[in-house]
Amino acid sequence: MATTRPEDDRANGELTGTEVRVLEAPGVDGPIERERRAPRSLHARVWLAPVIAFGLLVLGWQLYALHNPYVIPTVPEVLSQIGDKPGLYAHNFLVTLQEAVVGAGCGMLAAFILAVVMCHVHVLERALMPLAVILNVTPIIAIAPGLVVAFGFGFTPKYIVTGVIVFFPFLINSLIGLRAPEPQALDVFATLHASRWEVLWRLRLPASLPFLFAAARICLPLSVIGAVVAELSAAGQAAGLGALIETAANQADLKTVYASVLSLAVLGIALTVVVVLLQRRMLSWHSAARSR
Amino acid sequence: MTAVLLPFHHALGAVSLEVASRSLLRPTQRETTSAFATLPDTAPALPSTAGATILTSARSSNRSDSLVLEGIWKTFGTGRGRAAALEDVDIAVPRGQFVTLIGPSGCGKSTLLRIVAGLAEADRGTVSVFGETVSKAMAAKHIGFVPQSPALLPWRSVLDNVRLPLQVNRKADGAATRNPRDPKEVLESFGLGKVLDRRPAQLSGGMQQRVAIARAFVFDPTILLMDEPFSALDELTREVQRHELVKVWQSNQKTVLFVTHSVAEAVALSDVIVVMSSQPGRIRAVVPVGLPRPRTQFVETTDEFHDVESQVRVELWGAWHGDDET
Repeated sequence: MATTRPEDDRANGELTGTEVRVLEAPGVDGPIERERRAPRSLHARVWLAPVIAFGLLVLGWQLYALHNPYVIPTVPEVLSQIGDKPGLYAHNFLVTLQEAVVGAGCGMLAAFILAVVMCHVHVLERALMPLAVILNVTPIIAIAPGLVVAFGFGFTPKYIVTGVIVFFPFLINSLIGLRAPEPQALDVFATLHASRWEVLWRLRLPASLPFLFAAARICLPLSVIGAVVAELSAAGQAAGLGALIETAANQADLKTVYASVLSLAVLGIALTVVVVLLQRRMLSWHSAARSR
Repeated sequence: MTAVLLPFHHALGAVSLEVASRSLLRPTQRETTSAFATLPDTAPALPSTAGATILTSARSSNRSDSLVLEGIWKTFGTGRGRAAALEDVDIAVPRGQFVTLIGPSGCGKSTLLRIVAGLAEADRGTVSVFGETVSKAMAAKHIGFVPQSPALLPWRSVLDNVRLPLQVNRKADGAATRNPRDPKEVLESFGLGKVLDRRPAQLSGGMQQRVAIARAFVFDPTILLMDEPFSALDELTREVQRHELVKVWQSNQKTVLFVTHSVAEAVALSDVIVVMSSQPGRIRAVVPVGLPRPRTQFVETTDEFHDVESQVRVELWGAWHGDDET
């Protein structure tokens, strides 16, 4: 029976020439993944479940709020609070965003540079890692008031807090990522007499990207926490959503408090989405390698 | 029944097609194949020591035109855990020869290869790569290395992976003797012309390993070092890869030092097989492979092939059990 087999079709259509066909004989080489699937995010299967869960949460909130008006405001109240004063929330949103992003950016950059140095000079790793651990285990909330006293109500103490809070997770992930290349790949670079810089740029850095993105997904929301903590410690003067919460809470203005909390949640989501989009763009090779 | 047989049919059809096309391209091919078939049925010859004296007379060989290893010693560990990995190993590989190191695990063949590659240092002894020290040869990008795993960069396409050696250490590219090849052409010669833009993860293990070998060929190194490049592949794939390598090597006679565990692989590929014994790692025998070239996969069905194979096997048993038992 001369039925056509799918493998035969592939061999005929895609790989012509006898020599290649020998190599592509069935059972010798596995099938080749030809194209990506359609974007998964469009399937109802994917978005339906989280949307329902979210809807139920909002509903529960609303029901609870209707019966306990002095504990939490209702959902429409929170939304109209933002709708009434969009300028106020936008301004404070941007202030907190700046504190989180600039501080975390500097912290992550510093952590990465230190990781590169530690990766090459092992003595420095042994010398500095305990200090980094101490920095990590010290509660940031405990440091924040001291920083406000030292640096005032401006942006500096906020940058320090957000920078410090992201430093350690990013350092550890960078170190693991920079050491991720397999030894054989390092051997190949060594036999080519590649310079340290070439090994870093063409091997270690790309190999570390999945780890850096994973770290960024942890660090950026963490930096929002850092920014709010710093603002709460310096209430009354500086702007920012944390400062807004502090002031409103003192006046028992629950609508403003929860409108600010909602804005913070949106801020965290926005930062995460940016990281995920960047990750998808830059790490398509990684997800392709993993999905096998 | 038919359905079960179909894959075989397909494979056989493809192979015979290839033979047909080859004989059209190279009229000598069929004659060579038939010459093998008429070889006298000889009993396994005794291990020859003639090759040993030729190959291991490192001290008298032409240094500027061979890879010469002289009196290599290497130990691992210290104190009581000290183990001799290599003891007084001499090897000379003349230009254009394919030499294979074979031996039981722990005989130091990979260590020896790493010493030549500059990835490990010998305690004693010298390595001369066509008259240069290993570090000079590395700096001049004279050494091509194919590791045990393909070690491809997953973020690069197949083509960009093969381009890598041309992108790093570019200072070494000025040398007049170097004749780097077009990465596309190299990949095509390895039968990978259709997958240039694929990522390594989209290829089978056999194809990945071929990309790794293409990467070592592309910058025209003086010597090629291969550390069990097919060991992670299944038996069938290994055979296919082996003959792809034979084919490419025959069209581009590089000086190769190859490490393997597989006797058939060693015989099919090599001009000379160096059998090593373990603890300490020493050269036990040097077996010249007299099989004519060009070789195809059909070489493995000839009696002469099996004679050499038996010879190597006998030496390996000796290396494994010690001389008294053989």
